[in-house]
Order: sequence, then structure tokens, then C-alpha cells
Amino acid sequence: MWPGGADNKKIWAGGADNQGHFLGRISIRRNQVASMEGEVEDLELFQRKISDRFSDLLPPKKESYHSSGIPSSISISSAASDSPTAGSIDGDSSPFSGCETFLSIAWIRKLLDAFLSCETEFKAVLLIGREPSQVAKAPLDRLIPDLLDRAVKGLDICNGITHGIDAVKFMKNQAQIVVSALEQRPFTDGQIRRARRALAALQGSVVMDEKENTGKSTERSWSFGKRTSGASSKDRHHGLSFKSLSWSVAKHWSAAKQVQSISSNLNAPRSGEPTGLALTVYIMNVVLVFVMWALVAAIPCQDRAGLGTHIPVPKQSNWAHGICGVQEKIAEEWKKKEKKGSAGLMEEVIKIDKLAHSLVEFADNFHYPMEEEKEAEFAAQVAELAEICRKMDDGLGPLQSQIRELFHRLVRSRAMILDVLDQAGKSSTPHV
Amino acid sequence: MDSPRRSGAEDGGNGEERVVETAEKIILRWDSTVSEEARDKMIFSGDRHEVDRYLRAVDEIQRSLHSLAIASPSSGNSDRNPNTIQIAMARLEDEFRNILISHSSAVDSETLLVDTPRSNSSSSRDQFDHFSAATAAAEGEVDEEVEGEILRLDSGGGSSHGRRGSTSSRRSMRSSTSIREVDLIPSDAIADLRSIAERMIAAGYLRECIQVYGSVRKSSVDASFRNLGIEKLSIGDIQRLEWDALENKIRRWIKAAKVCIRTLFASEKRLSEQIFEGLSSATATCSSSSPPSSAASSSYSEACFLETVKGPAMQLFNFAEAISISRRSPEKLFKILDLHDALAELLPDIDVVFESKTAESIRVQAAEILSRLAEAARGILSEFENAVLREPSRVPVPGGTIHPLTRYVMNYISLISDYKQTLIELIVSRPSSSVSRYPGELSVPEFDFSELEEERTTLALHLIWIIVILEFNLEGKSQHYRDTSLAHLFMMNNVHYIVQKIKGSPELRELIGDEYLKKLTGKFRLAATSYQRATWVKVLHCLRDEGLHVSGSFSSGVSKSVLRDRFKSFNAIFEEVHRTQATWLVPDTQLREELRISIAEKVLPAYRSFLGRFRSHIESGRHPEQYIRFSWEDLDSAVLDLFEGNPVTQHLRKRSQG
Repeated sequence: MWPGGADNKKIWAGGADNQGHFLGRISIRRNQVASMEGEVEDLELFQRKISDRFSDLLPPKKESYHSSGIPSSISISSAASDSPTAGSIDGDSSPFSGCETFLSIAWIRKLLDAFLSCETEFKAVLLIGREPSQVAKAPLDRLIPDLLDRAVKGLDICNGITHGIDAVKFMKNQAQIVVSALEQRPFTDGQIRRARRALAALQGSVVMDEKENTGKSTERSWSFGKRTSGASSKDRHHGLSFKSLSWSVAKHWSAAKQVQSISSNLNAPRSGEPTGLALTVYIMNVVLVFVMWALVAAIPCQDRAGLGTHIPVPKQSNWAHGICGVQEKIAEEWKKKEKKGSAGLMEEVIKIDKLAHSLVEFADNFHYPMEEEKEAEFAAQVAELAEICRKMDDGLGPLQSQIRELFHRLVRSRAMILDVLDQAGKSSTPHV
Repeated sequence: MDSPRRSGAEDGGNGEERVVETAEKIILRWDSTVSEEARDKMIFSGDRHEVDRYLRAVDEIQRSLHSLAIASPSSGNSDRNPNTIQIAMARLEDEFRNILISHSSAVDSETLLVDTPRSNSSSSRDQFDHFSAATAAAEGEVDEEVEGEILRLDSGGGSSHGRRGSTSSRRSMRSSTSIREVDLIPSDAIADLRSIAERMIAAGYLRECIQVYGSVRKSSVDASFRNLGIEKLSIGDIQRLEWDALENKIRRWIKAAKVCIRTLFASEKRLSEQIFEGLSSATATCSSSSPPSSAASSSYSEACFLETVKGPAMQLFNFAEAISISRRSPEKLFKILDLHDALAELLPDIDVVFESKTAESIRVQAAEILSRLAEAARGILSEFENAVLREPSRVPVPGGTIHPLTRYVMNYISLISDYKQTLIELIVSRPSSSVSRYPGELSVPEFDFSELEEERTTLALHLIWIIVILEFNLEGKSQHYRDTSLAHLFMMNNVHYIVQKIKGSPELRELIGDEYLKKLTGKFRLAATSYQRATWVKVLHCLRDEGLHVSGSFSSGVSKSVLRDRFKSFNAIFEEVHRTQATWLVPDTQLREELRISIAEKVLPAYRSFLGRFRSHIESGRHPEQYIRFSWEDLDSAVLDLFEGNPVTQHLRKRSQG
């Protein structure tokens, strides 16, 4: 199917694996499935899979959820006024047994895994062992283009998220500077100075990123206490770091609006028409919209203001239980933490932000020598920051690749479905 | 923040001590938190002696910290200012940023665009390049290893950056024909940046250094992008644009992308190498915990380079990405192929510029887009085939001339043949309907490609297939003519046009091949014959001998009444043919001429001999002019009226009388 040639081998390497794997499945299934019962069974399996994969993403139990020190007990607004004493911030970063902390990087990656796996299943149900003409018939002739449109809209979200992860990386880099400054002993003014500079950039990055459209973007960067260097160069410094965050996304682009647009007209098939396939396509639409919404909720990206806390998911359907659960959980977190316009609900980002506040306060009140108790508490915070940085170092790269994979998958699947429609177009009667 | 100031008069009594003390003084003098002057002036934009003094001072402090750490961390020297090194680093960060900013003006588009490959050929470089391009294939992997060797040696080899230049020029000579680096920052500024970077890294300030470098350079690349007209458009934006607008943008993107990869990014890469390559924190005491894992000591330059261009590269490719997934329609094929070819041509350069492991995602992305563009081209071709098969217009073209569809399709496939180099590679599967997938289905033409004896590329098979479908569709359209003669004439015209188009383009002719061309020629000839049969057989039928002779009859064996009827019907039919077929069209003059000659050759001799033999029978009766209305010459000139597409101005009979 692909052009050969030595040069091209490399080129195709990118997505060839998925493709091969998928086609392999088709040919195996094609021989098995044909009967109506087989089809019904397939649809049920698909729905169960959706339900299972997304239920897996819920924190196990209410109690363990709280006791494990998930940031549900922390709100951004209170974090600012937290005195360092009060801020014994959920030091234990060990995830509870076998389950990722809700909205952590690891959790987001699991969410993406769930999506990719459901999507594979979806294609199997939709395309395997089917005449192309079946896919081109009503009501699918309307539902499938609709799905493909949403997929294209999802691509811009993927791009926005990719840049958002770059912003998180920027935070992480600043946090790492803070750690390397504050880990040193003996403790000096100079190190405090270094840390403050990085902390200012870190906090500036969060706030400015959010406020880009309000035109108040540089306000925050000026609040950085005493002038440590030439004012103008400081300004440039923050101005540029801010730029680096919103880089290469179109100025007017808004993640919130994109989510709004991708979730519009997401209607369940009317009771008259849901043949199995129509329902399947609808479910896939919901899953896609939900995952995009969750990504934008979790990860900083350009203009999240006004992101709705709900997307239309049919609560009563069995397959949607998992999704609804996760959505409610995210909405809860959102209400708690999003008031101040933070940089997304990602656990690590929220923790860094909180630690940064606490460390800024510490730096402002720094007197030498420190009380022993205070020093210990401070050291614990620095250690926690170091631990989060480590997690980010491990997780952000793979997360970004996964977003890329998601992008790639959306494009590939779209092409695959278009191919089928193309075939259907060929085989039906021309109107001559 | 108050730093304890120490009086310079205090003397440690130790030479070493004094040196360090002086160094501290220099650094504290430039502490911008303390003095107004230090805040307003930049060291590196002033006196060179001061620059050297400052750098030496930083080195002294570094060295003393180092020896202190080795001697005994807890003991002595408590009066030394522990903040000096941080103060120095904050200062150096500002200086570093300032130098970068003062040289961060965008490369202007003039320079960028002029500096594309061919215009730069005055030097011997091009010759080398062409040569190396020719030999590169032969050298292959061995050379790759050699280059790896060079890089390893270089990065381990300390701070002499003079050597870097030679490596870099060697590289571009070796591996690419088209990379054209320019100097983004003058060499003395590079030297300053490097000496600052060296010290920041040694003191554990690598992250700050990368951050500052990346942010300033990124905004410079951003400005260059603006000069090049590369816009920040989301995929949604691009999908909403009109195709005309997109075509222009594609054209501009192709130009811009070449400059970006070969000049802009390549120069950024070289710049980061010139500043950072060979620097490592391993040689000095690094009091910081550990170097960032993302920038292993050997590739600070790579980290800085990527920090700068990763975002821009993504933005650049995003456009091609959006095009590759845009709605497929036939008119897009050629611009998509242009884009594909441009990207394919750039791919080796992308591989060079983004050669590192950490830049893999960029290489992969470019390759992905290329394959998507290829897919889009295949999809469009397939969709085009569909569209040709199903083009639905039913209204017959007046006069049986060339259908707009035929023109469109033939122009399209001769354009395809202009892109044959690319398309032969891309189109690798045979036409999908070549063997009918639904046996017995009549809506798809049957064509057995194995009939073709010559070896054809799959692209050629697709082109042949498109012609087969076109003919099939035209056949369908011809059914809508009431007059079968006109249907035949229509087919003749259109297939003839197809043949002419193929012959007119050497590329297309080569692809289609003489074998199929011969078939087509046979087809329009057959159509011409069928037309003549349909129209002229009944004309000639009037002039036949049978039925005229009445055996044993009185009047020399010819039935006068039959003869009269024959003349009458000949006149009527011929007149009718003349009237209608003068409005028909054979746009090709030569074909028209040939067809008339062929008609004249059949009709005129028959009429002449018929007239010769039976004229006397009519003229001997009453009103002969009612039966013999046309002279031989009348017919001859009447034939010349045919297929001009104009209604006849004079009635045939009147003309003959006049």
C-alpha cells in the first residue's frame, strides 16, 4: 500500500505500527463477525469497555481519597494566606496502592491511554467486517462526518495542550532553580535572591498565562519585591518568559471556546433511530468531547476562561457511569480551585503553585539564623518541591508524546474512515 | 538586600586573600541591588578592561570557593561574603540577556529570501555541495560514524570554540546541499556570551542560562517568522480559509519553510553550538545538586537550540499539517503535491538540523506530515476518479462538441503528468475498480488491465483508468441525444480530443503509452464510422439501384414513380441532414475536414453516377426540377457547411438556383 524505497522506510515508521496492528485485527475479525448477534455482542463489549476504562479513573473511595492527601483539601485561595506553619503540604507523594492520584500527570496519562484504547475498539466495531456502504448510510452519513469534524477540532486542542505542557515545563524549570538554590547549605542571602527570581518567574508564568486576554499581563511580574537587577531587564525577562508560553498558538485562539465548539450539538440519537452503530458513533463523540474537556481542565492552555464545568453526558446510560463520575469529580475540583484562575487542575501544578506561595513568604520573612523548627519545615517544602520536579521530569515528556500520539491517532482514524467512505462512494450507483 | 560590605583596607596579609578580596570588591561594585550606577550601566557594553576584570574576578571567586570546599567546608574565612557568587551570577545573567537582546533583531526577509540556494553560488561551496551530494549516497553510514566521532571529540575538547567553526563547515559541506547558515550574532559578541555561559554553567546556573537564551532567541525567531509571513493560525482557522487564499499561503509557506529550515534554524543551531558546545559543568565545582537531566553535559548547545526552535518548528509544521488533513477536493491536488515535494526536499535538511535524539519528535512530525500529504494526494486522486465517474450533468452539449468534463479531466491529467515523478512514487496501488468488485454491476466500467501488454506504472494505470471512466460517463451522456448520429459524433469529438490531449503532452503520452493510445484512436475512428453509417447510409440508400428496375416493363426497365420517390426522398433527407448537421460541431479543423472529405467521397460519386444514369428519365418527364434539385456542385459545397456550428443562412435549394 505504501511506496517503497529505502528513504521512505523511515518516513512511514511513525505510524505504521498502529496501522499494521489495526489491519491485522480487521482481517482476523472479518472472518469471525458477520452475524447480527456478533454485532450486538460487539456493541455491548464496546460499551462495557468505555464504562470500565473510565470507572478505573475514579479515585477508589471517598475516605482513601481524602486521607491520601490529594489536593482536595487545599484550595488555591487559602494557599496564598497559608502561613508556612499551616502549610504542611501533603508531603506524602506516594500514590495509594496501584492508583494514580486524581488529576496527576500519571492520571492524565491513564486518561489518554483509556481514550486511545477505546478509540481502537471503536474503529474495530465501526469498520470491521462491514461493507463500506453500511457506513455511508443514514443515519451514519450524518453522524460520521460530525465525528470527523469534532476530531479535527480536537487537533487544535491537542496543539494547545502541547504548548500548555511547555508552560508546565517552564514552571518546572523555575522550580528546579528554586530547589537548587534552596537546597544549598550554608544558607545565604544570595541563594534566597536566586530563588526569589525563579519564584517570581514561576508565579508570573501561571498568572500571566491566564490573563493574557485581559491585558493586565505584566502586572504580576512587577510585584517581585525588591529590585534585584536593572528594572528594565527584569521586565524583559518576564515579558519574554510570558511570550514563550503563549508561543505559536494563534492569538485569538481560546481553549474554552474550542471545547465549547467541539461539544456543541452533541445530541443522543433520537429514540427512533439508534441502531447499534449510530449509538456507537454517538458514544465515541461523547468520549472524545469528554477527554478534550478534561485535558483543558487539567492542563494550562491559552484562554481557559469560561470553560464550562459540564458537558452533555447522558447520566442514565450504563456506559456513561464512569465518565459521569470522573466529570463530577473534576467539576468538584474545579469549583474549589479554579476561582482564582490558576493554571489548570493538574495536581503537580497546583502543588508547585502552593509551594511557591509558601516559599515566597518564607523568603520575604527570611532572617538569619532560622529557628530549627522553621528550618525543618522549610527543608521539607524544598524536598517536596524537588520531588514534584522529579515527577514532572519523568512524566511531562511522555505526556507530551502521548498528546502527540492522540493527535496522530485522530488524524489517522479520520483518514481511515474517509477511505471507507471513499470506497462506499465508488461502489454506489452513479447518477448518469 | 544588604550585603555586608568590607573595607578594602583590611588586609588578610595573604596574597591569595588579597586577590579574592579584590575580586569580591569588583563584583559587589556591580551589584545592581545596591548601586544606582550598577543598575544603569552594563559591563559588557562598556570598557573591555572592565569586562576582563569582572570575568577574572568571577573566576577568582569560583576558584576560591572550590579550594575552600576541598580544604574544609566548615573552617575559617568566615568573614568572606558568602553571597558574592550569587551576586555575580545574577549580574552575569543580566549581562547575558542584554548582549542577546542587543543582537536579537530578526533576520530580515530580504537576507533570508535572497540567501536561498542558487543565489549563493559564487563560492566554491556549491560545487562542493553538488559533489558531496553525489558522493553522499556512496559514503553512507561510514561517514555518519565519522561525524559522530568528530562531535564527540569536539564536545569533550574544552572551550576553544575556534575549532567549532571548522567542524560546522565540514558538516554542512558533507551532508547537505542546501543548508545556508548566516551569522546571527557577530563573533565578538559570541565570544562574550560564551565566556558568560561558561561561568554560569560552572557555577550551577545552567538552567537560568538556557532559559534566558531560549526566551530571547525565541522572540528573535518569532520576529523572523513575521518577516517571512509565517502566521499563527490554528488548524480550524486554516480549514475555514477559502482555497484561493490557501493556495497563496501554501506558495508562501514553501518559500518560508525552506528559509526556516536551511537558514534560520540551521543558523540558530550553529549559534547555540558556537556559544555552548564544549562547555561542561564537570570541570568546575558545581555546588548545585545535579545538572538537569534534559541537558546531559554533552549537549547544552542542543538543549539551548531546541529551547529556541521547538515551538517555532511546531508552528511552522502546523500549517502543513492542517493542509494535509483539509477536505479533499480535486483542485487541491497540485498544491498539495507542491507542498509534499517541498517537504520531501527539506526532509534531509530537517534530519541534519534536528539530528539529535532529543529533537526526534520534530523529525518524526515532519515525516508524518509528509506521509499524510502523500495520503491526501492518493485520496484526492481516488476521489477524482469517483467524481469523474459520477459527474451527473445530463443536458447534452449542443452540437455534439467537446463536453466540459472532457476538457476538465484531460487538463487535469495532463497536469498530473507534470507531477509524474512524485506521483509515480506515491501512487502504488492499482485502480481499485479495475476488476469490478461487484460482479454484474453495470455502473462501473469493465476494464481488464492485463489486456495491456506493455508494462505500465500504477500511476499510468490510474490515468488510463480515469480515461476509461471518462469515456464510460461520456457514453452515458451520449444516450441523452435523441439523434444517434449526434451521439456518435459527440463520442468521436470527445475521444478525439482525449487523443489529441495525450499526443500534445509528451509526459502524458509516455505514461499512457502507444498501446492504449492506439485503442483510443481506434475508438474515435469507430465513432466516426458509426456516425457516417447512422446518417449517410439512409442517404445513400436512396441512390441504390435495387428496386428501380422493373423487369419486363415497357419503359426500359426503370420505374419512373419509384425513381421520382427516390429523388424526392434523397432531396428531403439530404436537405434535412444539411440543415441540422451544419449546426453540429466538430471543433477540430482537421478532423472536420477529414470527416467532410470522407462524406463527400461516399456521397458525391454515388450521386453523380445515380444522376448520370437516371437523369434522362426524370428530365423526360414533367417538372424535372422538382426531382433533381441539386447539382453535384451543390452537394459538394453543402458538405462544406457541415459541422461548423452555424445554422445555414441560405436554403440549399435557393442557393442552387441563385
